[in-house]
This record gives sequence, C-alpha cells and structure tokens, in this order.
Amino acid sequence: MVEYQLSKKSEKFIDDLKLYLFSSGKNDVEIKEITEELEVHLYEAEQNGKSIDQIVGASPKEYMKSISSEMKNDYRAWAKYVPLIIIGAMSFSILGDLMQGPLSYSLLKIIGSMINSILFLGGVMFAFRYAARNQVSKIKEFLIFMLPIMISMLFIGAILIVDSIYQTPVINFSVAGSYLIGVIFLVFIIFFSVWAKTAVLIVTLIALHLPTLLLSFTTFNEETRLITSMLITYLLMGLYLYYVVKKEKRKKEGTPT
Amino acid sequence: MSQTQMMKGIIDGCLLAIIAKKECYGYEMAESLSEYGFDTISEGTIYPLLMRMQREGLVTSVLRNSTAGPKRKYYSLTSEGKQELTEFQTRWFQLEKCVNAVIKEGI
Repeated sequence: MVEYQLSKKSEKFIDDLKLYLFSSGKNDVEIKEITEELEVHLYEAEQNGKSIDQIVGASPKEYMKSISSEMKNDYRAWAKYVPLIIIGAMSFSILGDLMQGPLSYSLLKIIGSMINSILFLGGVMFAFRYAARNQVSKIKEFLIFMLPIMISMLFIGAILIVDSIYQTPVINFSVAGSYLIGVIFLVFIIFFSVWAKTAVLIVTLIALHLPTLLLSFTTFNEETRLITSMLITYLLMGLYLYYVVKKEKRKKEGTPT
Repeated sequence: MSQTQMMKGIIDGCLLAIIAKKECYGYEMAESLSEYGFDTISEGTIYPLLMRMQREGLVTSVLRNSTAGPKRKYYSLTSEGKQELTEFQTRWFQLEKCVNAVIKEGI
C-alpha cells in the first residue's frame, strides 16, 4: 500500500487515537476502519491548507472520547493477550528459579505474584489510555509509564517482606516435577514467540539467565559474577532493542511516501 | 443548552440530506456542510455521527479508489435512512414553525 504523508501533528494524533481505542478494548478491525477514514480526511484537509485543529476541534481528548463511545467494546483481543503476558512474565522467574534447583514456592508468593500481574497490567492499560487521551510529551509519557512499574516493584517488595515474616504453606516440587514445569513454560514461550512473530521473550530470557548460568562455571567470586551477569544482561537487551529500532526504521524508510 | 448539543441532532439530519443527494465521502460532507454555513463546527464531528448512523442501519459504506490519494469511504442511504430523512424533515419544519412563532412575537 502506498503511504500518504501527513503532518507530524496529525500523525501523532492518529497514533494516539489508535492507542486510546486499543487500550479502551475496541475491536481491531473497527479501529483500523475509523483511523484510516480520518487519515484520508486529514490528508485531504492538509492538501487544502487546513490544520488538524479545524478537524478535531479544540479538544482532541473530547474528540477521541466521542469516537470511542460510538464503538462497541471488544475485549476478545485483550482476553487473548492477558493470560499470555501473565504466563510469559511468570516463566521468567520460574525458569530462573529452576536453575537454582527444584522449585518451591509459598502460597503467599504464588497468589501475590498473580495479583501483581493483574495490577501491573491494569496499571499499564490505564497509563496507555491516559497518555494517549491527553497527548502528553515524551518525557511525561515516560514518567506515566514508570508509575505502574514502580507500584509493581513496591508490591513485590512488600510481598517478599511479608513472606519472610509470616509463614504460609510452602509447595515443594520434586526434581522431576520442577523440570516438567520448566519444560511446559519453555514450550509456551516458543509457541508464543512463533505465534506473535517476536523474539523478545526468548531474547529477554537468554539475557536474564544465560550470563548467570555461564558464570556459575567460572571461578569468579559471587560479587563479580553478579555484577558481570547484570552488565551482560543490560548489554544484550540494549543490543536487541537497538536492532529492533533499526529494523523498524528501515521498514519505515523503505515504504514509498 | 450549549450550541454544540443543539446542533448534534440537526447535523444528523443534514448529513442524511447531503448523502441523499449523492453518494459521498466524509471530506465532501464536511466541505458541503461548511458551504451551507455550518462553519463553526469542527469537521471531525461528522465521523462519530456517521459511525452511529451506520450502526443504526441508516447508511451503508463502500471503499473506492481515488485518483488523488488514499481509498475513500463512500456513504449512501439505506431505505431506513431515507425514511429517517423524511421524518427529520417533518420534525424540522414543524419545529421551525413553532420556534419562529415564539421568537418572532414581539419583534
């Protein structure tokens, strides 16, 4: 498909609208329809020297709301993603723990991490909607997204503290059971990566755990190992993100304008 | 009542009338509205209205290629839409008569 060039401001508005509608749980097909229709309008309006303010009115926020309210809610897309994201996040810590030996979790930890995943997802969705609706600057956007991450970290911290004070029943898995769980999660990650056509889970997993695993064969002392593995993790993630951004950029420049 | 609220139902009817004349797409409707003198409303206002009218089965749409740019979504009236337009016209003429009678008194 040939792309038509919109002004930066219009492009940002369309992107924000897409994000807002998606995080409001609207149907993908309908989102595509209305945003494409608006793109056509903005394109023709800009060709005729009109600005986006004449089209969306004084308040883009109100305008997004008025479009959103005419669309049905469709949470099927979310219903598909939410369990995937929660299981994906769980698999990181489970596979990490597995390298330390058989799995063993207290009831509080299991329930706590489930609640935390739901809270975190809710927070991120809220942040998406807030940032999109209010068309905030990049810095503010970053700060808004930091909020659910901070809350989630505090929540995990609180659980760890409470867990060390109060005893809740501990579920111990046998060696075979632990490996079975590990294999199940690994298979899930591979399936998810193929389905979503992304290597992000696998790369994160390798970046998180491979350095620790490899360094455990070395004779470095614990402190050196911790620091080195953390540095390697950041380095690998950084390289991967750099690669993804570059690829995206090439894709964007590759399309005729 | 704010001006925009009062306008909403009226613009619904006007859009139906514009689409009834000939099949057209969003930008044309907006142009047409402003030519008729509705220049205080922002152009984007028509899209939520079109979405609702389409959901209510008053209009249907079809994508067509254009020579000048991306694909446009053309709207046309369904028989329900035509019916709704007739009802709107009746309601409007009635309302116009009443409002005129009230506000012209004493001028």
